[in-house]
Amino acid sequence: MKKSLLDYTLKVRVPVILFVALASFIATYYLSRAEREGVGYAPEQPIAFSHRLHAGTMRIDCKYCHAGVTVSPQAGIPAVSVCMNCHAVARKNRPEIIKLTKYFEEGIALPWKRVHRVPDYAYFNHSAHVNRNIDCVHCHGKVETMDVVEQVSQFTMNACLDCHRNAPTRLAGIPNIKRGPENCGSCHR
Amino acid sequence: MSEFDTDVTKAFSPDELPPISRKQFLALVAASAAFATAGCTGYRDKGEIVPYTKKPEEVTPGVANYYASTCTGCAQACGTLIKTREGRPVKLDGNPDHPVNRGKLCAKGQASILSLYDPARLRTPRYGATAAKSGDVTWDEVDADVVRQLADCRTNGKGILIVCPPLTSPTAITLLNEFKATYPTTRILPYTLLNNQASRKAWEECYGDAPYPVIAWEEAKLVLALESDFLGTDGFSTEQNRKFAAGRDIMQSDYFNRLYCVEGAFSTTGANADYRMRLHPSAQAEFVLSLLNEIAAKRKAVPAPAALMAAVGSHTLASFCSSHGLPETVVHHLVDDLLANRRKGIVVAGPGLSVEAHIAVHVLNEVLGNSDLYSSSTELAGGLHPSTSAEIESAIAAMNAGSIGAVIHFGVNPVFDLPRAFTYAAALKHVPLSIDLAESESETGQLCTYLLPAHHTLESWGDHHVRTDVYSFQQPVIAPLYDTRQREAVLLHWMAGQTAFAETLYLAYLKNRWETAVFPGLHRPVAFAAFWNAALHDGVVQIPTAAGQRSALRQEGVARMQHTAVEEGMTLLWAEPPFLGDGRFANNGWLQEMPNPISKIVWDNYASVSPSTAHALGVAMHDQLTVETGAGKQTFPVFVQSGMADNVVAVFAGYGRWNAGPVGSGVGVDILPLLPRTAMDGGRTVSQVHATKGTGTHKLATTQEHHSLDETFVKDFHLKRKIIRESTVEQHKQDPTWLSRDRHEHESISTEVQYHGVKWAMAIDLNKCTGCHACVAGCNVENNIPIVGKDQVLAGREMQWIRIDRYFTGTMDDPVPSHQPMLCQQCDNAPCENVCPTVATNHSPDGLNQMVYNRCVGTKYCSNNCPFHVRRFNFFNFRDHFADGYYEQEPVSLVHNPEVTVRSRGVMEKCTFCTQRIMESRQHAAEQGMTFDGKGVQTACQQACPADAIVFGNMNDPNSTIAQYREHDLGYHVLEDLNVRPNVTYLARLRNTHLEKPA
Repeated sequence: MKKSLLDYTLKVRVPVILFVALASFIATYYLSRAEREGVGYAPEQPIAFSHRLHAGTMRIDCKYCHAGVTVSPQAGIPAVSVCMNCHAVARKNRPEIIKLTKYFEEGIALPWKRVHRVPDYAYFNHSAHVNRNIDCVHCHGKVETMDVVEQVSQFTMNACLDCHRNAPTRLAGIPNIKRGPENCGSCHR
Repeated sequence: MSEFDTDVTKAFSPDELPPISRKQFLALVAASAAFATAGCTGYRDKGEIVPYTKKPEEVTPGVANYYASTCTGCAQACGTLIKTREGRPVKLDGNPDHPVNRGKLCAKGQASILSLYDPARLRTPRYGATAAKSGDVTWDEVDADVVRQLADCRTNGKGILIVCPPLTSPTAITLLNEFKATYPTTRILPYTLLNNQASRKAWEECYGDAPYPVIAWEEAKLVLALESDFLGTDGFSTEQNRKFAAGRDIMQSDYFNRLYCVEGAFSTTGANADYRMRLHPSAQAEFVLSLLNEIAAKRKAVPAPAALMAAVGSHTLASFCSSHGLPETVVHHLVDDLLANRRKGIVVAGPGLSVEAHIAVHVLNEVLGNSDLYSSSTELAGGLHPSTSAEIESAIAAMNAGSIGAVIHFGVNPVFDLPRAFTYAAALKHVPLSIDLAESESETGQLCTYLLPAHHTLESWGDHHVRTDVYSFQQPVIAPLYDTRQREAVLLHWMAGQTAFAETLYLAYLKNRWETAVFPGLHRPVAFAAFWNAALHDGVVQIPTAAGQRSALRQEGVARMQHTAVEEGMTLLWAEPPFLGDGRFANNGWLQEMPNPISKIVWDNYASVSPSTAHALGVAMHDQLTVETGAGKQTFPVFVQSGMADNVVAVFAGYGRWNAGPVGSGVGVDILPLLPRTAMDGGRTVSQVHATKGTGTHKLATTQEHHSLDETFVKDFHLKRKIIRESTVEQHKQDPTWLSRDRHEHESISTEVQYHGVKWAMAIDLNKCTGCHACVAGCNVENNIPIVGKDQVLAGREMQWIRIDRYFTGTMDDPVPSHQPMLCQQCDNAPCENVCPTVATNHSPDGLNQMVYNRCVGTKYCSNNCPFHVRRFNFFNFRDHFADGYYEQEPVSLVHNPEVTVRSRGVMEKCTFCTQRIMESRQHAAEQGMTFDGKGVQTACQQACPADAIVFGNMNDPNSTIAQYREHDLGYHVLEDLNVRPNVTYLARLRNTHLEKPA
């Protein structure tokens, strides 16, 4: 029995084309979702700390808690004792503060869920950015409006380079801002 | 050895892959695809961040803190500066404020940080093998039992023996004396195998009991080293390297010191000599006497007392030279130089030589007026003196007689490192209570009743007095990792009886002693608390002390300077190993893998013999040689070392431990069975040795080929290919442009990249480099270099980013070595960059050849295309390759520098010019709002180099030191003709030899 061209088209070509198209669509769909880069990630924290209340309403400077941000590569998560600077007296009877006080008094480690992360092989330096007057908002979004902190922008190499290459337009508000380095060694070592 | 060693291609075999069928494979693919899709549905968990509950005020996460302390790796007690990150030490460097080592630390000291995180450390007290019970025990139980038994000893008059190293801590010595007051039957037995008793005894014979002075090396224009490795293992080598190199600074002036070396083995000092002569160690005394005679004859003006000359005898230099095969021209130069440099030369003898030789050297120095170079400061000023063999013997006899009730090992390992002739292990069995206060298990601990875990140096308090006016402080930089206690605190606790133990016990004692016994005498205008804090901050206190007057040369001493017969037959010459100490660093893989500066051998000791002796014995490289002395017999692998004296077998101590831990046990051959008891009285030779060829072979692993001297194909290739450029001081003076004359202009097919702003460059002054390997250790610690093990070194897979290449010129009998630190040359036209298919290695705007690990797929093209062979490939995930998973055990990973990626399998790596330090410096510039000018960045190797041979900086800054070095007449690049434009400049070595008139 001789195979016709139609036979061949229906049995081989069409399924293969359909499969390739479907596979590329699924792959592209999954790989390009914002979640994959963590955008929108807002994990539940062990203590329902509200940045909107502290940084927004009460206008506490980010640097009061994240004190390492100007002197260290790491902004740092404040020690529990920093919270207690105020909460030793303020709002002591709220359930979340009672939880906090317990952590402090019993010396239990407070395991905050990590929201923002760059891979281990990328050495991001907070102080190098903040000391050039780049505001936290540029990467972390308007944290002062968030009750639960979530990731708003991608933390990919592409995102880093986009800003490094186009700093004068991306960071137009900062006078004399120069392009960031694009050589590998500035982040990878 | 061929570069294509068969082992290199051996490790991967498809047969060793796990068997898997096609069906299973497809199932796995399908399953992984399904899981991958399922995993895409939500957000990935990013883990947790756990902050401090109460943050210590001085800690900022991500920023290092530095503390001054003292290294206790050997008796020199150098000042250290310890870098800690979030409370854990990650790097040891020298303390720049310390007057002795001035910011430098030897390879041992730097690598000793790994011992803190050694998984083999003792974690809890436990019963030893000779105890009635086994297993763990609590400190409280131990304390109760020990205090009871010590009290019994006191009442029954039984002795308590404290075996300790020659302690340098005045407070610890005071404490031992107080312990003795509490328990009057106590006897203190300090000892060290690596003693310098011969030199000390000779000094006492000549000058009474005045302590040994520090030599003003920086003022010496002429040094004659007799079997002395003062640039390697003898004495304060870090300081000696610095001071000696200061006399060879091509940037300062045309003044150059000259080093003659006469030795039987081949030492680092010999490798750096301008003139090196081979001489049997037993002939050294006669050589010095002959020199004395010659000098007296040549120069009547030399004040040589008649009594002195009578003792010298009738040795003439001419007959000595002819009978021992010394080159007469060189010896005549030596005599002329000794006379010409009177009062500014120095003759030194090594610890291997006899007392007679040392006395002769002191007399020679006195006759030449060289004693002017003895400074008023003295070495090891406050320490305990090591015991003599007679003292050790009497203590052991008391143990055997049963009159010793308790032995406390205070950080020593006598079962291993006392000559086996003492039969210490057998004597220990007669002692009812034996205690090992140690950081890890040892041969001694194995035979004790109690193994009590002691603090590591970095967890301990202390003070050290090693120079007349220098006191160095030691402070803990990390809380004790385990249930350990400081040795001194344990003794204090046992003295006090039944009170509760407190961690601060010894700190309080130390502080109290300084406050009551020392501070009032200093008349400082501050309160003690301020003084104490400043002392801990600086790590060192200088207390000016009146210089002791050295008495005149004593005639009785001179009379002892008699002719000793030159030995017939084979002589065993043993020496301190370059990196293992007396064996205490055996479990430190970084130090085991540090290549011997001369032989380049790692993970082994061996019997070195000269080529003609090897021929006479019928042995070749890697054969076995059985060495038999009056004391015992051992078999060593043979290393044929050109340049050694004939009829000498040279071996290193410190190897062959059998209970050192998983890394160090069974590495090398133990030499202690060969040594007589008199080894504890100085001198490091054993005469009348029988050496015979043993059966079988033992492959030695070396990091460099070593046949290059006798193979015509490769002979002198380093000179022919202009890897090494050398000349002499005189020739360079006559013709300063000799280096640039044969230089070509190289045309490039592409346009040259212009570097604006900072551009990094390094210069290495080969006139100063002695090949000590401190840079290698510094790089290892800073850049998380893995230990790969002997089998991998044999396969050519060592991972060190900087290596010291050693080349030989000359003849088999008198080779002339050249050292060259080799690291990534950060070429402007880097050949590695052009061939990388993933652009994982490329160039940065500041001239660095960057290596991006996360981009590397491991094709190894770059390594194949690198003319300098400086790229290192991770053939394994070295962190879990070892059968015992050394790196996987906690807490080894804590030693890693958090600022440098820990590379994994399949990734190429290489020197980065310490880019993490450059970035840190850039961050500081940004913090201060300044433009980064490249000042103040130090690479780890540069920081470590005791001779300051390495210069690093911004070459675009015309005022920088590096720019001057690059412009220097002696500057050259390795393999210049390739036009790869390296950014590492080498400064050609000048040998300070006499200009020989053409015959």
